[in-house]
Amino acid sequence: MAIFNAKDRVIECKLVYYGPGRGGKTSNLEYIYKAGKKYAMSDMVSINTKGDRTLFFDFLPIGLGKIRGCDVKVQLYTVPGQQKYSSTRKLVLKYVDGIVFVADSLEIRRKANVLSLKDLQQNLAAQGEDVFKIPLVMQFNKRDLGDKDIPIMPVDLMTRDLNSKLNAPVFEASALKGTGVAETLKKCLVITLQNLQKELKWTE
Amino acid sequence: MSDRQRVESLVREADTYRSQGFLVAAKKKYMELLQLIQGHEKYSKNKKLINAVEGKIRSIEKEMSDVTKAEAKPQLSNETQDLIQKLFSFSKNREHATMEGAVALAKFGQYQKALTEFMRLMSEGILPLEAAKNILRCHLSLSPPEVALNQYKNWVSRDDFPPNDLKYLRRFLKNLLDKRGVKVEIPEIVERAGKAKRKKKAEEEVLDISSVGVPLNWGPLKGETVEFEVSFQSGNTISIIVPSDKTQLLDAFRPGVKLPDMQCYSLIAVFNGTGVVSGKSQITSGPKKGDYTLDITISGD
Repeated sequence: MAIFNAKDRVIECKLVYYGPGRGGKTSNLEYIYKAGKKYAMSDMVSINTKGDRTLFFDFLPIGLGKIRGCDVKVQLYTVPGQQKYSSTRKLVLKYVDGIVFVADSLEIRRKANVLSLKDLQQNLAAQGEDVFKIPLVMQFNKRDLGDKDIPIMPVDLMTRDLNSKLNAPVFEASALKGTGVAETLKKCLVITLQNLQKELKWTE
Repeated sequence: MSDRQRVESLVREADTYRSQGFLVAAKKKYMELLQLIQGHEKYSKNKKLINAVEGKIRSIEKEMSDVTKAEAKPQLSNETQDLIQKLFSFSKNREHATMEGAVALAKFGQYQKALTEFMRLMSEGILPLEAAKNILRCHLSLSPPEVALNQYKNWVSRDDFPPNDLKYLRRFLKNLLDKRGVKVEIPEIVERAGKAKRKKKAEEEVLDISSVGVPLNWGPLKGETVEFEVSFQSGNTISIIVPSDKTQLLDAFRPGVKLPDMQCYSLIAVFNGTGVVSGKSQITSGPKKGDYTLDITISGD
Protein backbone atom coordinates (compact mmCIF):
# COMPACT_ATOMS: atom_id res chain seq x y z
CA MET A 1 0.00 0.00 0.00
CA ALA A 2 1.94 2.95 -1.24
CA ILE A 3 1.48 6.14 0.71
CA PHE A 4 1.56 9.40 -1.15
CA ASN A 5 1.84 12.54 0.90
CA ALA A 6 0.86 15.20 -1.61
CA LYS A 7 1.64 18.08 0.77
CA ASP A 8 5.25 17.08 1.48
CA ARG A 9 5.65 15.37 -1.94
CA VAL A 10 6.74 12.07 -0.41
CA ILE A 11 5.86 8.65 -1.76
CA GLU A 12 6.51 5.45 0.19
CA CYS A 13 6.18 2.04 -1.39
CA LYS A 14 6.85 -1.57 -0.50
CA LEU A 15 8.76 -4.20 -2.49
CA VAL A 16 8.86 -7.82 -1.37
CA TYR A 17 11.47 -10.41 -2.35
CA TYR A 18 9.60 -13.70 -2.62
CA GLY A 19 10.79 -17.19 -3.50
CA PRO A 20 11.70 -20.63 -2.20
CA GLY A 21 13.77 -21.09 0.94
CA ARG A 22 17.54 -20.62 0.61
CA GLY A 23 17.09 -19.17 -2.85
CA GLY A 24 19.01 -15.95 -2.15
CA LYS A 25 16.38 -13.39 -1.13
CA THR A 26 18.33 -12.29 1.93
CA SER A 27 21.57 -12.27 -0.10
CA ASN A 28 19.93 -9.81 -2.49
CA LEU A 29 19.06 -7.44 0.35
CA GLU A 30 22.47 -7.86 1.98
CA TYR A 31 24.17 -6.93 -1.25
CA ILE A 32 21.90 -3.92 -1.74
CA TYR A 33 22.63 -2.82 1.83
CA LYS A 34 26.41 -3.19 1.42
CA ALA A 35 26.70 -1.79 -2.08
CA GLY A 36 24.18 0.99 -1.70
CA LYS A 37 24.82 2.13 1.86
CA LYS A 38 24.25 5.75 0.94
CA TYR A 39 20.64 4.90 0.04
CA ALA A 40 19.93 2.92 3.23
CA MET A 41 17.76 4.86 5.64
CA SER A 42 18.62 2.59 8.57
CA ASP A 43 20.40 -0.68 9.25
CA MET A 44 19.08 -3.82 7.63
CA VAL A 45 17.04 -5.90 10.06
CA SER A 46 17.28 -9.68 9.71
CA ILE A 47 15.63 -12.22 11.95
CA ASN A 48 17.27 -15.57 11.33
CA THR A 49 17.08 -18.98 12.89
CA LYS A 50 19.57 -21.83 13.14
CA GLY A 51 21.33 -22.28 9.81
CA ASP A 52 20.82 -18.64 8.84
CA ARG A 53 17.35 -19.27 7.50
CA THR A 54 15.09 -16.24 7.47
CA LEU A 55 12.67 -16.74 10.30
CA PHE A 56 10.26 -13.84 9.96
CA PHE A 57 11.47 -11.33 7.42
CA ASP A 58 14.35 -9.05 6.43
CA PHE A 59 13.71 -5.35 6.26
CA LEU A 60 15.70 -2.60 4.58
CA PRO A 61 14.32 0.91 4.06
CA ILE A 62 16.02 2.88 1.31
CA GLY A 63 15.62 6.41 0.02
CA LEU A 64 15.95 7.06 -3.69
CA GLY A 65 15.95 10.83 -3.39
CA LYS A 66 13.84 13.04 -5.62
CA ILE A 67 12.15 11.55 -8.66
CA ARG A 68 10.03 13.98 -10.65
CA GLY A 69 9.83 16.29 -7.67
CA CYS A 70 8.84 13.59 -5.23
CA ASP A 71 10.89 12.14 -2.42
CA VAL A 72 10.73 8.37 -3.02
CA LYS A 73 11.15 6.01 -0.08
CA VAL A 74 11.10 2.26 -0.54
CA GLN A 75 10.73 -0.48 2.02
CA LEU A 76 12.40 -3.72 0.93
CA TYR A 77 11.28 -6.92 2.59
CA THR A 78 12.03 -10.60 2.20
CA VAL A 79 9.67 -13.35 3.27
CA PRO A 80 10.73 -16.60 4.94
CA GLY A 81 10.87 -19.15 2.13
CA GLN A 82 10.26 -22.28 4.15
CA GLN A 83 6.81 -23.69 3.50
CA LYS A 84 5.86 -23.81 7.19
CA TYR A 85 5.98 -20.00 7.54
CA SER A 86 2.93 -19.39 5.40
CA SER A 87 1.17 -17.03 7.80
CA THR A 88 4.29 -14.88 8.08
CA ARG A 89 4.55 -14.63 4.31
CA LYS A 90 0.93 -13.50 4.11
CA LEU A 91 1.54 -10.80 6.70
CA VAL A 92 4.70 -9.50 5.01
CA LEU A 93 2.97 -9.50 1.63
CA LYS A 94 0.15 -7.27 2.85
CA TYR A 95 -0.15 -4.05 0.84
CA VAL A 96 2.82 -4.92 -1.38
CA ASP A 97 3.44 -2.66 -4.37
CA GLY A 98 6.01 -4.69 -6.29
CA ILE A 99 7.56 -8.14 -6.16
CA VAL A 100 10.92 -9.67 -7.00
CA PHE A 101 10.54 -13.42 -7.36
CA VAL A 102 13.94 -14.97 -6.63
CA ALA A 103 14.04 -18.41 -8.23
CA ASP A 104 16.80 -20.86 -7.41
CA SER A 105 18.69 -22.15 -10.45
CA LEU A 106 19.80 -25.35 -8.74
CA GLU A 107 18.26 -28.39 -10.43
CA ILE A 108 17.27 -29.82 -7.05
CA ARG A 109 15.10 -26.73 -6.41
CA ARG A 110 12.92 -26.98 -9.52
CA LYS A 111 9.83 -28.11 -7.67
CA ALA A 112 10.40 -25.65 -4.81
CA ASN A 113 10.42 -22.75 -7.30
CA VAL A 114 7.11 -23.78 -8.80
CA LEU A 115 5.48 -24.31 -5.40
CA SER A 116 6.68 -20.95 -4.17
CA LEU A 117 5.31 -19.14 -7.22
CA LYS A 118 1.98 -20.88 -6.70
CA ASP A 119 2.06 -19.86 -3.04
CA LEU A 120 2.69 -16.26 -4.09
CA GLN A 121 -0.25 -16.36 -6.49
CA GLN A 122 -2.56 -17.73 -3.79
CA ASN A 123 -1.42 -15.29 -1.13
CA LEU A 124 -1.85 -12.36 -3.48
CA ALA A 125 -5.31 -13.57 -4.48
CA ALA A 126 -6.28 -13.81 -0.80
CA GLN A 127 -5.65 -10.08 -0.49
CA GLY A 128 -7.41 -9.22 -3.72
CA GLU A 129 -4.27 -8.86 -5.85
CA ASP A 130 -3.52 -10.59 -9.13
CA VAL A 131 -0.07 -12.02 -9.82
CA PHE A 132 -0.57 -11.17 -13.49
CA LYS A 133 -1.28 -7.52 -12.74
CA ILE A 134 1.06 -6.63 -9.89
CA PRO A 135 4.51 -5.29 -10.87
CA LEU A 136 6.74 -8.36 -10.78
CA VAL A 137 10.31 -9.09 -11.78
CA MET A 138 11.76 -12.57 -12.01
CA GLN A 139 15.33 -13.28 -10.93
CA PHE A 140 17.07 -16.57 -11.75
CA ASN A 141 19.66 -16.67 -9.00
CA LYS A 142 22.82 -18.73 -8.43
CA ARG A 143 23.76 -18.82 -12.12
CA ASP A 144 27.44 -18.84 -11.06
CA LEU A 145 27.10 -22.36 -9.64
CA GLY A 146 27.03 -23.69 -13.19
CA ASP A 147 30.66 -22.62 -13.54
CA LYS A 148 31.50 -24.93 -10.64
CA ASP A 149 29.87 -27.88 -12.41
CA ILE A 150 26.96 -27.93 -10.00
CA PRO A 151 23.78 -28.98 -11.86
CA ILE A 152 21.69 -25.90 -12.57
CA MET A 153 18.67 -25.54 -14.81
CA PRO A 154 18.94 -23.92 -18.24
CA VAL A 155 17.27 -20.51 -18.43
CA ASP A 156 14.82 -21.87 -21.05
CA LEU A 157 13.57 -24.51 -18.66
CA MET A 158 13.17 -22.02 -15.79
CA THR A 159 11.34 -19.65 -18.12
CA ARG A 160 9.01 -22.44 -19.19
CA ASP A 161 8.38 -23.47 -15.59
CA LEU A 162 7.91 -20.04 -14.10
CA ASN A 163 7.50 -17.31 -16.62
CA SER A 164 5.73 -18.63 -19.71
CA LYS A 165 2.43 -17.14 -18.64
CA LEU A 166 3.64 -14.26 -16.48
CA ASN A 167 6.04 -12.84 -19.05
CA ALA A 168 7.76 -10.84 -16.35
CA PRO A 169 11.14 -9.21 -16.95
CA VAL A 170 13.85 -11.78 -16.14
CA PHE A 171 17.34 -11.23 -14.75
CA GLU A 172 20.06 -13.81 -14.28
CA ALA A 173 21.91 -13.23 -11.05
CA SER A 174 24.44 -14.38 -8.50
CA ALA A 175 23.27 -12.52 -5.44
CA LEU A 176 26.23 -13.52 -3.29
CA LYS A 177 28.56 -11.85 -5.77
CA GLY A 178 26.14 -9.07 -6.53
CA THR A 179 25.74 -9.91 -10.23
CA GLY A 180 22.30 -8.89 -11.47
CA VAL A 181 21.11 -7.66 -8.07
CA ALA A 182 21.04 -3.95 -8.89
CA GLU A 183 19.50 -4.56 -12.31
CA THR A 184 16.71 -6.63 -10.79
CA LEU A 185 15.93 -4.02 -8.15
CA LYS A 186 16.11 -1.16 -10.64
CA LYS A 187 13.64 -2.83 -13.01
CA CYS A 188 11.26 -3.67 -10.19
CA LEU A 189 11.40 -0.08 -8.92
CA VAL A 190 10.77 1.32 -12.40
CA ILE A 191 7.70 -0.80 -13.12
CA THR A 192 6.37 -0.35 -9.58
CA LEU A 193 6.68 3.42 -9.72
CA GLN A 194 5.12 3.46 -13.20
CA ASN A 195 2.22 1.49 -11.84
CA LEU A 196 1.87 3.80 -8.85
CA GLN A 197 1.97 6.78 -11.15
CA LYS A 198 -1.10 5.39 -12.92
CA GLU A 199 -2.84 4.82 -9.59
CA LEU A 200 -1.80 7.85 -7.59
CA LYS A 201 -0.82 10.35 -10.30
CA TRP A 202 1.98 11.46 -8.01
CA THR A 203 4.00 13.29 -10.63
CA GLU A 204 1.13 15.52 -11.72
CA MET B 1 33.62 -39.72 -16.51
CA SER B 2 36.38 -41.52 -14.63
CA ASP B 3 35.79 -42.86 -11.12
CA ARG B 4 37.99 -40.14 -9.72
CA GLN B 5 36.02 -37.46 -11.56
CA ARG B 6 32.79 -39.02 -10.33
CA VAL B 7 34.04 -38.88 -6.73
CA GLU B 8 35.15 -35.27 -7.13
CA SER B 9 31.82 -34.33 -8.67
CA LEU B 10 29.86 -35.90 -5.81
CA VAL B 11 32.03 -34.16 -3.20
CA ARG B 12 31.57 -30.84 -4.97
CA GLU B 13 27.81 -31.22 -5.16
CA ALA B 14 27.47 -32.41 -1.57
CA ASP B 15 29.65 -29.59 -0.24
CA THR B 16 27.75 -26.98 -2.24
CA TYR B 17 24.34 -28.21 -1.11
CA ARG B 18 25.58 -28.22 2.46
CA SER B 19 26.91 -24.67 2.23
CA GLN B 20 23.59 -23.61 0.71
CA GLY B 21 21.68 -25.18 3.59
CA PHE B 22 20.13 -28.03 1.60
CA LEU B 23 21.08 -30.61 4.16
CA VAL B 24 18.89 -33.47 2.93
CA ALA B 25 20.27 -33.16 -0.58
CA ALA B 26 23.81 -32.88 0.77
CA LYS B 27 23.39 -36.02 2.88
CA LYS B 28 22.00 -37.88 -0.11
CA LYS B 29 25.08 -37.00 -2.16
CA TYR B 30 27.47 -38.02 0.65
CA MET B 31 25.62 -41.33 0.97
CA GLU B 32 25.93 -41.84 -2.78
CA LEU B 33 29.62 -41.08 -2.47
CA LEU B 34 30.06 -43.52 0.41
CA GLN B 35 28.33 -46.25 -1.55
CA LEU B 36 30.55 -45.60 -4.56
CA ILE B 37 33.72 -45.68 -2.46
CA GLN B 38 32.77 -48.78 -0.50
CA GLY B 39 32.02 -50.69 -3.69
CA HIS B 40 35.16 -49.53 -5.46
CA GLU B 41 38.10 -51.88 -5.78
CA LYS B 42 40.74 -49.24 -5.02
CA TYR B 43 38.94 -46.66 -2.86
CA SER B 44 37.36 -49.27 -0.59
CA LYS B 45 40.81 -49.94 0.88
CA ASN B 46 41.27 -46.29 1.77
CA LYS B 47 39.96 -46.26 5.35
CA LYS B 48 40.91 -42.60 5.80
CA LEU B 49 38.67 -41.60 2.89
CA ILE B 50 35.77 -43.73 4.12
CA ASN B 51 36.11 -42.29 7.64
CA ALA B 52 36.14 -38.76 6.26
CA VAL B 53 32.91 -39.27 4.32
CA GLU B 54 31.24 -41.00 7.27
CA GLY B 55 32.33 -38.08 9.44
CA LYS B 56 30.70 -35.64 7.01
CA ILE B 57 27.45 -37.62 7.12
CA ARG B 58 27.46 -37.64 10.94
CA SER B 59 28.12 -33.94 11.07
CA ILE B 60 25.28 -33.22 8.60
CA GLU B 61 22.93 -35.36 10.67
CA LYS B 62 23.85 -33.29 13.73
CA GLU B 63 23.25 -30.09 11.78
CA MET B 64 19.84 -31.41 10.67
CA SER B 65 18.96 -32.25 14.24
CA ASP B 66 20.05 -28.76 15.44
CA VAL B 67 17.88 -27.14 12.78
CA THR B 68 14.90 -29.26 13.80
CA LYS B 69 15.40 -28.44 17.46
CA ALA B 70 15.89 -24.70 16.87
CA GLU B 71 13.21 -22.61 18.49
CA ALA B 72 10.51 -21.91 15.94
CA LYS B 73 9.67 -18.48 17.29
CA PRO B 74 12.46 -17.14 19.50
CA GLN B 75 12.15 -14.13 21.78
CA LEU B 76 13.23 -10.99 19.93
CA SER B 77 14.82 -7.81 21.27
CA ASN B 78 12.61 -4.92 22.36
CA GLU B 79 13.76 -2.89 19.36
CA THR B 80 12.74 -5.63 16.92
CA GLN B 81 9.41 -6.11 18.66
CA ASP B 82 8.76 -2.36 18.39
CA LEU B 83 9.70 -2.48 14.71
CA ILE B 84 7.28 -5.35 14.08
CA GLN B 85 4.49 -3.38 15.73
CA LYS B 86 5.30 -0.35 13.62
CA LEU B 87 5.72 -2.14 10.29
CA PHE B 88 2.59 -4.25 10.55
CA SER B 89 0.13 -1.59 11.68
CA PHE B 90 -1.55 -0.69 8.43
CA SER B 91 -4.84 1.01 9.30
CA LYS B 92 -5.25 4.74 9.33
CA ASN B 93 -7.61 4.34 12.27
CA ARG B 94 -5.33 4.55 15.32
CA GLU B 95 -7.24 1.96 17.35
CA HIS B 96 -7.28 -0.58 14.55
CA ALA B 97 -3.60 0.07 13.84
CA THR B 98 -2.71 -0.56 17.49
CA MET B 99 -4.64 -3.82 17.36
CA GLU B 100 -2.90 -4.85 14.11
CA GLY B 101 0.51 -4.20 15.67
CA ALA B 102 -0.35 -6.36 18.67
CA VAL B 103 -1.73 -9.14 16.45
CA ALA B 104 1.50 -9.05 14.41
CA LEU B 105 3.52 -9.51 17.61
CA ALA B 106 1.47 -12.60 18.42
CA LYS B 107 1.82 -13.95 14.87
CA PHE B 108 5.58 -13.59 15.17
CA GLY B 109 5.48 -15.53 18.43
CA GLN B 110 6.15 -12.56 20.74
CA TYR B 111 3.31 -13.67 22.98
CA GLN B 112 4.42 -12.02 26.22
CA LYS B 113 4.66 -8.54 24.74
CA ALA B 114 1.50 -9.16 22.68
CA LEU B 115 -0.35 -10.20 25.84
CA THR B 116 0.70 -6.98 27.59
CA GLU B 117 -0.52 -4.99 24.58
CA PHE B 118 -3.88 -6.79 24.38
CA MET B 119 -4.40 -6.30 28.13
CA ARG B 120 -3.69 -2.59 27.71
CA LEU B 121 -6.05 -2.33 24.74
CA MET B 122 -8.78 -4.03 26.69
CA SER B 123 -8.31 -1.84 29.74
CA GLU B 124 -8.57 1.22 27.48
CA GLY B 125 -11.75 -0.15 25.89
CA ILE B 126 -10.14 -0.44 22.44
CA LEU B 127 -11.78 -3.30 20.46
CA PRO B 128 -12.24 -5.25 23.72
CA LEU B 129 -13.71 -8.41 22.19
CA GLU B 130 -10.89 -8.74 19.68
CA ALA B 131 -8.38 -8.04 22.46
CA ALA B 132 -10.01 -10.70 24.66
CA LYS B 133 -9.79 -13.34 21.92
CA ASN B 134 -6.13 -12.63 21.46
CA ILE B 135 -5.51 -12.64 25.21
CA LEU B 136 -6.88 -16.19 25.28
CA ARG B 137 -4.67 -17.16 22.33
CA CYS B 138 -1.58 -15.72 24.02
CA HIS B 139 -2.34 -17.45 27.33
CA LEU B 140 -2.68 -20.77 25.54
CA SER B 141 0.65 -20.26 23.81
CA LEU B 142 2.46 -19.21 26.98
CA SER B 143 0.88 -21.25 29.78
CA PRO B 144 -1.15 -24.34 30.63
CA PRO B 145 -4.83 -24.21 29.51
CA GLU B 146 -6.02 -23.46 33.06
CA VAL B 147 -4.62 -19.93 32.77
CA ALA B 148 -6.81 -19.14 29.75
CA LEU B 149 -9.76 -20.78 31.46
CA ASN B 150 -9.25 -18.72 34.62
CA GLN B 151 -8.97 -15.59 32.55
CA TYR B 152 -12.33 -16.36 30.97
CA LYS B 153 -13.89 -17.10 34.38
CA ASN B 154 -12.59 -13.73 35.61
CA TRP B 155 -14.33 -11.93 32.77
CA VAL B 156 -17.53 -13.79 33.57
CA SER B 157 -17.38 -13.01 37.29
CA ARG B 158 -16.46 -9.36 36.76
CA ASP B 159 -19.20 -8.73 34.20
CA ASP B 160 -16.56 -7.36 31.85
CA PHE B 161 -18.58 -8.24 28.74
CA PRO B 162 -22.25 -8.44 27.81
CA PRO B 163 -23.65 -12.02 27.86
CA ASN B 164 -23.57 -12.35 24.08
CA ASP B 165 -19.89 -11.50 23.95
CA LEU B 166 -19.17 -13.91 26.78
CA LYS B 167 -21.00 -16.65 24.89
CA TYR B 168 -18.91 -15.82 21.84
CA LEU B 169 -15.70 -15.93 23.88
CA ARG B 170 -16.76 -19.23 25.40
CA ARG B 171 -17.23 -20.74 21.94
CA PHE B 172 -13.95 -19.26 20.84
CA LEU B 173 -12.06 -20.69 23.84
CA LYS B 174 -13.73 -24.05 23.43
CA ASN B 175 -12.61 -24.19 19.78
CA LEU B 176 -9.04 -23.36 20.73
CA LEU B 177 -9.02 -25.99 23.47
CA ASP B 178 -10.65 -28.61 21.20
CA LYS B 179 -7.95 -28.00 18.58
CA ARG B 180 -5.34 -28.71 21.25
CA GLY B 181 -7.23 -31.79 22.38
CA VAL B 182 -7.87 -30.29 25.82
CA LYS B 183 -11.13 -31.40 27.43
CA VAL B 184 -12.24 -29.07 30.24
CA GLU B 185 -15.56 -27.75 31.47
CA ILE B 186 -16.11 -24.13 30.50
CA PRO B 187 -18.91 -22.48 32.49
CA GLU B 188 -22.03 -21.73 30.44
CA ILE B 189 -23.34 -18.17 30.41
CA VAL B 190 -26.71 -17.76 32.06
CA GLU B 191 -28.33 -14.49 31.12
CA ARG B 192 -29.97 -12.50 33.87
CA ALA B 193 -33.22 -10.69 33.14
CA GLY B 194 -31.73 -7.26 33.91
CA LYS B 195 -29.28 -7.61 31.11
CA ALA B 196 -31.74 -8.20 28.33
CA LYS B 197 -32.11 -4.49 27.63
CA ARG B 198 -28.37 -3.98 27.30
CA LYS B 199 -28.18 -6.96 24.95
CA LYS B 200 -30.89 -5.55 22.70
CA LYS B 201 -29.12 -2.20 22.53
CA ALA B 202 -25.80 -3.86 21.67
CA GLU B 203 -27.46 -5.83 18.92
CA GLU B 204 -28.94 -2.71 17.43
CA GLU B 205 -25.52 -1.14 17.05
CA VAL B 206 -24.11 -1.57 13.56
CA LEU B 207 -20.68 -3.15 13.49
CA ASP B 208 -17.95 -2.05 11.10
CA ILE B 209 -17.95 -4.82 8.53
CA SER B 210 -14.62 -5.44 6.83
CA SER B 211 -15.66 -8.18 4.41
CA VAL B 212 -18.60 -10.38 3.47
CA GLY B 213 -19.04 -13.86 2.09
CA VAL B 214 -22.07 -14.48 -0.12
CA PRO B 215 -23.13 -18.01 -1.11
CA LEU B 216 -24.61 -17.90 -4.60
CA ASN B 217 -27.75 -19.97 -4.94
CA TRP B 218 -28.57 -18.84 -8.44
CA GLY B 219 -27.13 -18.22 -11.88
CA PRO B 220 -24.03 -19.71 -13.53
CA LEU B 221 -21.96 -19.39 -10.33
CA LYS B 222 -24.50 -21.36 -8.29
CA GLY B 223 -22.86 -23.28 -5.47
CA GLU B 224 -19.88 -20.92 -5.12
CA THR B 225 -19.31 -18.53 -2.25
CA VAL B 226 -17.79 -15.22 -3.18
CA GLU B 227 -15.96 -12.94 -0.76
CA PHE B 228 -15.80 -9.17 -1.02
CA GLU B 229 -13.78 -6.58 0.84
CA VAL B 230 -16.00 -3.74 2.03
CA SER B 231 -14.77 -0.48 0.57
CA PHE B 232 -17.25 1.80 2.34
CA GLN B 233 -19.97 1.50 4.94
CA SER B 234 -22.77 3.83 5.90
CA GLY B 235 -24.98 2.45 8.67
CA ASN B 236 -26.15 -0.97 7.60
CA THR B 237 -25.37 -0.40 3.94
CA ILE B 238 -22.01 -1.56 2.66
CA SER B 239 -20.36 -0.86 -0.67
CA ILE B 240 -18.18 -3.32 -2.48
CA ILE B 241 -16.24 -3.01 -5.71
CA VAL B 242 -16.59 -5.59 -8.46
CA PRO B 243 -14.12 -5.43 -11.39
CA SER B 244 -15.76 -4.84 -14.75
CA ASP B 245 -14.41 -8.11 -16.17
CA LYS B 246 -16.34 -10.18 -13.60
CA THR B 247 -19.41 -10.18 -15.78
CA GLN B 248 -21.01 -13.27 -14.27
CA LEU B 249 -20.75 -11.74 -10.80
CA LEU B 250 -22.13 -8.43 -12.00
CA ASP B 251 -25.08 -10.24 -13.58
CA ALA B 252 -25.70 -12.16 -10.38
CA PHE B 253 -25.86 -9.02 -8.22
CA ARG B 254 -28.69 -7.08 -9.78
CA PRO B 255 -30.45 -4.47 -7.62
CA GLY B 256 -33.28 -6.06 -5.68
CA VAL B 257 -31.62 -9.48 -5.43
CA LYS B 258 -31.97 -10.90 -1.94
CA LEU B 259 -28.89 -12.39 -0.30
CA PRO B 260 -29.75 -14.82 2.47
CA ASP B 261 -27.03 -16.51 4.58
CA MET B 262 -24.43 -13.81 4.17
CA GLN B 263 -21.37 -14.10 6.38
CA CYS B 264 -20.31 -10.71 7.70
CA TYR B 265 -16.81 -10.29 9.09
CA SER B 266 -15.94 -7.45 11.40
CA LEU B 267 -12.86 -6.99 13.55
CA ILE B 268 -14.77 -8.03 16.62
CA ALA B 269 -17.22 -10.65 15.38
CA VAL B 270 -18.40 -12.83 12.56
CA PHE B 271 -22.16 -12.93 12.12
CA ASN B 272 -24.76 -14.12 9.67
CA GLY B 273 -26.97 -11.64 7.97
CA THR B 274 -29.42 -11.26 5.17
CA GLY B 275 -28.99 -8.56 2.61
CA VAL B 276 -30.47 -7.04 -0.45
CA VAL B 277 -28.62 -5.44 -3.36
CA SER B 278 -29.76 -1.85 -3.01
CA GLY B 279 -27.68 -0.18 -5.70
CA LYS B 280 -25.26 -0.75 -8.53
CA SER B 281 -23.28 1.91 -10.37
CA GLN B 282 -20.24 2.14 -12.57
CA ILE B 283 -17.20 4.06 -11.33
CA THR B 284 -16.44 6.86 -13.74
CA SER B 285 -13.06 8.16 -12.52
CA GLY B 286 -9.94 7.22 -10.58
CA PRO B 287 -7.89 4.02 -10.58
CA LYS B 288 -11.02 1.83 -10.43
CA LYS B 289 -12.68 3.56 -13.37
CA GLY B 290 -14.96 1.15 -15.24
CA ASP B 291 -15.44 -1.17 -12.25
CA TYR B 292 -18.77 -1.34 -10.44
CA THR B 293 -19.87 -0.36 -6.96
CA LEU B 294 -22.53 -2.55 -5.42
CA ASP B 295 -24.48 -1.39 -2.40
CA ILE B 296 -25.84 -4.08 -0.10
CA THR B 297 -28.15 -3.31 2.76
CA ILE B 298 -27.70 -5.79 5.57
CA SER B 299 -29.89 -6.87 8.43
CA GLY B 300 -28.46 -9.14 11.16
CA ASP B 301 -30.16 -12.45 11.92
